[in-house]
Amino acid sequence: MKRSFAALSVLFAALLTGLDGASRENSSPTFARDIAPIIYRNCSGCHHAGEAGPFPLLTYEDAKKHARQIAAVTERRYMPPWLPQAGHGDFEDERRLTDQQIRLIAGWVKVGAPEGDPAECPAPPNFSGAWKLGKPDLILRAGHAFAMPASGPDVFWNFTFRPDTKSTRYVRAIEIWPVGEGKEACEQCPDPLSAARIVHHANMLVDRTNSVRRLEEAPGSGFAGMELTLDRNPFDPASYFLFWKPGTTPYSEPDGFAWRLDPGNTLVLNTHLQPSGKREWIQPSVALYFTEKPPTHFPLLFQLEHDGALNIPAGARDFVVSDDFRLPMDVDVLAIYPHAHYPGKLLEGYATLPDGTRRWLITIPDWDLNWQAVYRYRTPVFLPTGTVVSMRFHYDNSGRNPRNPNRPPKRVCAGNQATDEMGHLWLQVLPRGRGDRRRELEEAVTRHNIEKYPNDFAAHLNLGALMLSRLETQAGIAELETAVRLDASRPEAHDMLGSAFESVGRTGDAIVQFREVLRVRPDYVNARYNLANALAKSGKFDEAIGDFRQVLEEFPDSARLHDQFGQMLARGGRYEAALAEFDKALALEPSNETARNDRQWVLKNRLAGQETPH
Amino acid sequence: MLKQACLARPGGPSVLTLCLAICAAALSFPIRGAQIAGGADGDGVLDLKGKPVDLFASPAAVQVLLFVRTDCPITNRYAPELQRLHSEFASRKVNFWLVYADPAETAAGIEAHVAGYRFPGVPVRDPHHMLVKRAHATTAPEAAVFDAAGTLRYHGRIDDRYVDIGKARAQADIHDLENAILAVLAGKAVAEPETRAIGCSLADVE
Repeated sequence: MKRSFAALSVLFAALLTGLDGASRENSSPTFARDIAPIIYRNCSGCHHAGEAGPFPLLTYEDAKKHARQIAAVTERRYMPPWLPQAGHGDFEDERRLTDQQIRLIAGWVKVGAPEGDPAECPAPPNFSGAWKLGKPDLILRAGHAFAMPASGPDVFWNFTFRPDTKSTRYVRAIEIWPVGEGKEACEQCPDPLSAARIVHHANMLVDRTNSVRRLEEAPGSGFAGMELTLDRNPFDPASYFLFWKPGTTPYSEPDGFAWRLDPGNTLVLNTHLQPSGKREWIQPSVALYFTEKPPTHFPLLFQLEHDGALNIPAGARDFVVSDDFRLPMDVDVLAIYPHAHYPGKLLEGYATLPDGTRRWLITIPDWDLNWQAVYRYRTPVFLPTGTVVSMRFHYDNSGRNPRNPNRPPKRVCAGNQATDEMGHLWLQVLPRGRGDRRRELEEAVTRHNIEKYPNDFAAHLNLGALMLSRLETQAGIAELETAVRLDASRPEAHDMLGSAFESVGRTGDAIVQFREVLRVRPDYVNARYNLANALAKSGKFDEAIGDFRQVLEEFPDSARLHDQFGQMLARGGRYEAALAEFDKALALEPSNETARNDRQWVLKNRLAGQETPH
Repeated sequence: MLKQACLARPGGPSVLTLCLAICAAALSFPIRGAQIAGGADGDGVLDLKGKPVDLFASPAAVQVLLFVRTDCPITNRYAPELQRLHSEFASRKVNFWLVYADPAETAAGIEAHVAGYRFPGVPVRDPHHMLVKRAHATTAPEAAVFDAAGTLRYHGRIDDRYVDIGKARAQADIHDLENAILAVLAGKAVAEPETRAIGCSLADVE
């Protein structure tokens, strides 16, 4: 009875799956029919020459030579690498095998990994070695190759690129080749195919504040470091994940979502390199794809984190770091990027909607730094105003965690080194509504940071700047005064506070602040410019002129500055000198109407006999 | 066989010592070599020129067999550690052999692999897995340690750095291969004579 029931259910299953399914049930799996489609779709992208996979998986012979290994690593879902838990976020380019596919591979290996009928085998994917998105608009090449040692810990190396663009460009996509352009070997890279395998992932950052010059020995030399902190401009915060991992087609931003590349920006490529057993040379190239369409949508990157609470005792097996942020506006979450170092274990991100329901953004049950990635939602996740976005990151700092970098375990705090820890849940969100609403969201994020870190210099500085931009000058001054009290050595805070004082007529206080900047940083041109103007305003023309001349030495070709200097000289009654400056401005820029008008005004006043003897 | 006969032979320590010396020098190894080689020329262990080679014919206190594959990243990452072990034991009658068990691997491919990663030791091919079986090896990289008498004293991982494929400690805590060589050199028993190696399957290239 039991037997016939089993037979009946097999028959029923066959009927359900159709004839094709029925024939599969009755025959052993073969590479050609069953395994090749799985491998070509999920493995070959990385497993081919020039990519990160350590051996090719493009033919039957390739797969046969690793058959048991493939069964083992797919069975425990180490391959294909995909960290998020199913059902907690619906992501693009998901690389997760189904249970049935995993069983099929195991079954194929069990019966001796047969090839089957080659006629049934689909054609393997074709990897041409060319740039995946076609001919790039601009190719940037790292100035120096980095020599990666044969052994030792993983290395995090930053390459810098300074695109020589004369005007603002809008970038829709980037592609990265770890070892040169296309498949061509870089001159210093003796084994580019091998070197390509050591680049695990890379993150590109746009440095709009030239922060990296403090980190590089010389421009282009590159620098070590796992994490990279760039000064954040609250009016132009980072909007995009420029993340690269091997074996994927580069992400191309949709229309209206391009990011801005301004002249003078530096691109920093933060690479995670793993030793291969021999010395390797890495010299990446970055391809940029431009669009003529300027951005019309302005997403924002912000992070949930509480590094201040990251203080994990040695041996702690489940230490939790949390952060919760209430959204001040309706947003769509476009992408998410969880980041921790080695003791990180279970990483959770979720949203609690105003009605109390919980919506999972992501869960990574077994964090592995080596496979970190940016995850883009297939459909943006709408979160209404008042939603609380939360992170709960769990850490295992015990000896039981084999990835623990400290043996024996020791107390771990937040920091940039691989032996320190981090807990960041980055979100890319697009505020709903028209125009660029990043500033409003940025203000809420900054206020949240001040709640977490009341003594955070950067948060008070940025909040002060945001308040000033909203013309809430008194509130802005209060924040900036807090900032300079917290860190008196930072010139930008004094400079901004000076400008704020200036705007409310406290010129004397402004001059004190600008002088403080120049005491700390005599080459801070912006402050010298501000100081010159403030001095002129308070009638101290001699001093003002001296300072403005120093500004002009930095920018001798600026028609605008020559014109302004002329105005200052004229206000001080020095008409001849003023005329000379207007002439310089017009020589540099004959179409400069302001300089022309200023010049005529001075000529008229001088003729009126108001010349002050000089 | 011969070793058993030697040990079974009655006599004082001097006889035994003499016998062992003869075993090591001449008598036993051609026989054992023939067993390993499995008969006809070309069926057994080969050097890179395709000539049969008998690992155990060369006199040494310890024979270290390192089972490797050219296409196995964990194998390659162990090259610096193997260099370290090789230089540590260079002057102590320890032979290192690199055993390539993939019958499809070419001599040129092996030479390039050895040169590229500067693997220490003498490369040999084991296309019929004679050495693989004798060492009970399953994985690349895996080490096997034989004493002067040709007895398998250790096989398994080089150290405990890898916990699983893709899961490694920052550095190894237990240096199993080094410990095994030291034990054999000191005439002591190997504390952990068998461990599980992490890496690529040797059966996949049978």
